[in-house]
Amino acid sequence: MLQMNGYAVNAETPLELLTDYLTPNELFFVRSHWIPRTPNLSRWRLTVDGEVKTPVSLSLADLRKLPVTEVTCVLQCAGNGRALYTPVLPGVQWRYGAVGNARWRGVRVRDVLQLAGVKDSAKHLHLFGSDDPPRKVPPFHRSVELAKAMDDAILAYEMNGVKLPAEHGAPLRLVVPGWAGDHWMKWLVRLSPQAESQRGFYMETAYRYPLQPGAAGVAFKPEEMSPVTELFVKSNVTTAPKKAKAGTTYDIRGFAFSGAPDIAKVEVSDDDGATWNEAQLDARHSPYAWRLWSYRWTPRAAGTARVMVRATDSRDRVQPRDATWNQSGYLYNAWHTVDIEVTA
Amino acid sequence: MKRALVLLCAALLLLAAAKKAPRFNASLPTVGTRFGTLPLGKGRAQTEAACYACHSADLLLQQRLTEKQWTAAVEKMIRWGAEVKDADKPVVIAYLAKNFGPENKFVPRKTRPIGY
Repeated sequence: MLQMNGYAVNAETPLELLTDYLTPNELFFVRSHWIPRTPNLSRWRLTVDGEVKTPVSLSLADLRKLPVTEVTCVLQCAGNGRALYTPVLPGVQWRYGAVGNARWRGVRVRDVLQLAGVKDSAKHLHLFGSDDPPRKVPPFHRSVELAKAMDDAILAYEMNGVKLPAEHGAPLRLVVPGWAGDHWMKWLVRLSPQAESQRGFYMETAYRYPLQPGAAGVAFKPEEMSPVTELFVKSNVTTAPKKAKAGTTYDIRGFAFSGAPDIAKVEVSDDDGATWNEAQLDARHSPYAWRLWSYRWTPRAAGTARVMVRATDSRDRVQPRDATWNQSGYLYNAWHTVDIEVTA
Repeated sequence: MKRALVLLCAALLLLAAAKKAPRFNASLPTVGTRFGTLPLGKGRAQTEAACYACHSADLLLQQRLTEKQWTAAVEKMIRWGAEVKDADKPVVIAYLAKNFGPENKFVPRKTRPIGY
């Protein structure tokens, strides 16, 4: 792994290791705001309160009695790629590897909320984890739109077939298919449906994205931004030769994903985007999971070949040449390029 | 028969464990056990005192910020509880701007896989 912060642990996956359909837990990136407190499982409860008819307090055993559900989908940190923006921004300098695809198993949020009976007045689901910030640092309190949470979000207690690891939010985390990682609250202890969205630094200042592109380096005003929600269409190259010989064919591979349920196509160009050729998509897929892709590339002439990749999602959104600069460095999704030295 | 069954189970467990363990360079540290250190210079001690309570030096070592950006970052951190005496604030900002300016290069520390 590539350690970005020793404590609280933040680590990204080397891009060349993101070659599996399911990212192994031990290679899955870790993003932690604070050093978590490992909950005592015998005493751990999930409280559901707020705009509900009957507040409930559930143990893990209670949750496990509910119908089990499983989703395979991408988790990407909202700030993945922050280091690639110009002008440069403060914060964890994620490059490519704050992303992974995993199989999440647990219970549907709607099944849990139905136990408490959500009132019609509730529009946002407030989320609380057990991790406390140090000193006067604002707590990482978030909310997600209730409609999305009730549609397909799950409370996961397993990741890739094993108990949810501590660094991924054990015993319970939120999984919000297609949405950025800031919604995927870890170490959950409380859910609270409310009429209004959550307040505070991590809703009103952080995790906001411009409504319209602006000039790079010019900060957007709060009213010019809205919360980061859906992921943007994006593809990366994970496997490519460093050196190649003209006329010889090589495998180039990678992954592609989006906030739309599927990827329609992935294309590769080696002439600065003048012409594009379709890559082959792997058959394995599930809504909001990534698609692995491969492309047979034959360099034509000696020199430095710049190979670039772009994806188009099932809602016809095409990955752009440049990402929209924003002052927190979220949702970077510019074409990924790799340089390959070609000899005659 | 019983002994053979026990041996078979043990062998299967070993196989399962062997399949599960990823290959990695054993000389690499476990994630979260080694931290970067700040370069020598005026302001280093005050910067360590201000920052280390909440995060390791790695987070500073990767930044490439202008003095204006460092000023904003230090003021934000003071609001969030970083202990910096008034007289030390310009010293800390100057230290960070000098060492972690726009030309700074950062190579993340390679570690073992998570959990190893």
